[in-house]
Amino acid sequence: MNETFHKIEAKKRGNALGFWFFKTTLKLFGLSGAYGLLYGVALHYALFDKPARAGALAYIKRRFPGSSGMVNFVHTYRLFINQGKQLIDRFACISGQVEFDMRLEGYDELMKLVAGGKGFVLLTSHTGNWQIAMTALSKIDKPVYLVMRPEDNRAVSESLKIGADNNRIKIISPEQYLGGVVEIMNALSAGAIVAIMGDRRYGFDGIDVQFLGKPALLPYGAFVIAANARCPVVVLESAKLGPRRYDVNVTHTIQPRLERGRDKKEQLRVFVQEYSNILESFVKKYPYQCFLFHDIWQAQMIAD
Amino acid sequence: MEENKELELKEIRAKLKELLVTSLSLEDIKPTDIKDDEILFGEGLGLDSLDAVEIVVLLQRNFGLEIKDMNEGRKIFYSVDTLARYILENKKK
Repeated sequence: MNETFHKIEAKKRGNALGFWFFKTTLKLFGLSGAYGLLYGVALHYALFDKPARAGALAYIKRRFPGSSGMVNFVHTYRLFINQGKQLIDRFACISGQVEFDMRLEGYDELMKLVAGGKGFVLLTSHTGNWQIAMTALSKIDKPVYLVMRPEDNRAVSESLKIGADNNRIKIISPEQYLGGVVEIMNALSAGAIVAIMGDRRYGFDGIDVQFLGKPALLPYGAFVIAANARCPVVVLESAKLGPRRYDVNVTHTIQPRLERGRDKKEQLRVFVQEYSNILESFVKKYPYQCFLFHDIWQAQMIAD
Repeated sequence: MEENKELELKEIRAKLKELLVTSLSLEDIKPTDIKDDEILFGEGLGLDSLDAVEIVVLLQRNFGLEIKDMNEGRKIFYSVDTLARYILENKKK
């Protein structure tokens, strides 16, 4: 990471009228009504949004190697539909319009960590619906810091009342001085949970590891932080199992430790690879719930 | 009084430089190569934000200090000298 500040660029899709249309349909016809609208919208993006399609194809080509152009288009379309459904679910859940059945796997282990008083890093990914998972975790009696720009997840920020004085969920912006690491370290030493995205670098340095059979560049910052704070990294996975069902899994814990005198990056690679393996198992099980939309494999080639 | 302070500052700077070289595994850099006023992040010594993680820990473990006010972070992390002054001032409290 050669910069002390990181400007994160992300293209936003959709407009106020479109969101209003989905919200109104959800209110009038419920989840299945809102889902119904998606098929046309997702087809529009699959046909005409070249950057979105390219972002999806980077993943699709590695997840379904050897598929023809037409088959890849169908995979992309299915991926867009699933992403749309999860965005609707997120809104429906956090606005309180629909109740979701959320099974939390690894709850006992998580509660042991919470009861131990130590902080830990919660590693999230662009797979499944981590924002919905956060609503489940917001019930834990511990401060939770999300390392993200508030404007990137405005809907989540507003619905989870992030930033309100009495709310345990707060935000640390990675765009501030030194990427917010001082605040992150202070939060961990105070026993808080710090949620960090583990699969996108956003301009930060990465390490090449194997992901879906090819070298991909994943960030290692979360592991450096955890190793120095001497705390564990809990990997958060959330999968949509049905129209109103989610599985939130926190059973995978990584304990990064760094030894002096040994190559730091080589040591970190082991932990990042472990995380990559967890991610790979997830996308193999749920191929249409990987919303990376970024060519992390190409990024690896550029870094070389 | 001022002389004592300067002497103490000098000691802290020297200790900090040693800690930086060992903790951050700075290759081909000796503690004496680091200037007191050399910029730590970006240009100068070229440290990055993940090195900052190690400096935060280094401050905690070796000097028992935490930086609470992030508005001051930029000033404190500017150079070895600014770090040393922060340590000196806050150790005395």
